Amino acid sequence: MTSKTILSYKGPFYIELISVFGTNIRNFNDTYSNARKKLFKIFIELSQNVSNYSENFHMVNNVQRIGVGELFLKELDTAYCFTTINQVKRTDAEILAERCEIVNASDQMKLRELKREQRLNSPGEKFGARIGLIQAVMLSKNQLEYKVENINENFSYFSLTVKIDKY
Amino acid sequence: MENIILTSSPTTPYFPEVSFDIDKGICEIRGESYMEETYKFYLPLINWIKDYIKLIKKPLVLDIKLIYLNTSSTKCVLDILEILKDYEDDSGQVKVNWYYDKSDPDMIDEVEDFEAESGIKIELKEF
Repeated sequence: MTSKTILSYKGPFYIELISVFGTNIRNFNDTYSNARKKLFKIFIELSQNVSNYSENFHMVNNVQRIGVGELFLKELDTAYCFTTINQVKRTDAEILAERCEIVNASDQMKLRELKREQRLNSPGEKFGARIGLIQAVMLSKNQLEYKVENINENFSYFSLTVKIDKY
Repeated sequence: MENIILTSSPTTPYFPEVSFDIDKGICEIRGESYMEETYKFYLPLINWIKDYIKLIKKPLVLDIKLIYLNTSSTKCVLDILEILKDYEDDSGQVKVNWYYDKSDPDMIDEVEDFEAESGIKIELKEF
């Protein structure tokens, strides 16, 4: 199986960067157009999770908080693999892992139910819809792969990978 | 009350174009929507619709022509649809059209979810 790195990045997840990366991913060739549409949507969603929630962040003009993390996009023979890594509180890592398990254990119909329920009950405003992980699995139809690596007694690295099949 | 016209820029493709026209009673959102601080962008649009319902009280058409919206934006769009549903239930005339790219079947599922969550009828139209 061949594996080619299309993109790797480490640093602050500015919207301007996410947008340029995402647009290039979507448009870089004409093949697998459906897969690349899905990849674009998942790329934006998971990258914005890093931007919004990473515990390692930059402050812009003392006002805007931009999350710092890493991303990797690989092309395999039959799929794209997109990974994000960012710092989280250890307590949040447990919650995130639990959410991934719930999402992975749900079929498409259950995911749709979860998505509707979660979006309706989200407090909105700065909290968004809180359905990014559900959306990633609904679009890719593949399970989330996650890994937690503890940094110290307070923080961990949370790594999340989604595979998007080309066909 | 004034019309809202927001044009797009190639340097900020994550903001949609917006045209909310009082005289025509047509609200159009077009392009892509995945900006930061989504609610800050949508709040004036939500307030415009609330004011239109309160002050103008005429029929209102919402045309959504978004080829992509992130999940935070879906929450704001749902807020708009819920306001329109309340208006409709209160005898207001409302029509919601959602234009989609036929090569993107995931958008049809999204629109079905919006219909189910808001209770308002959404007409699907191809671009």
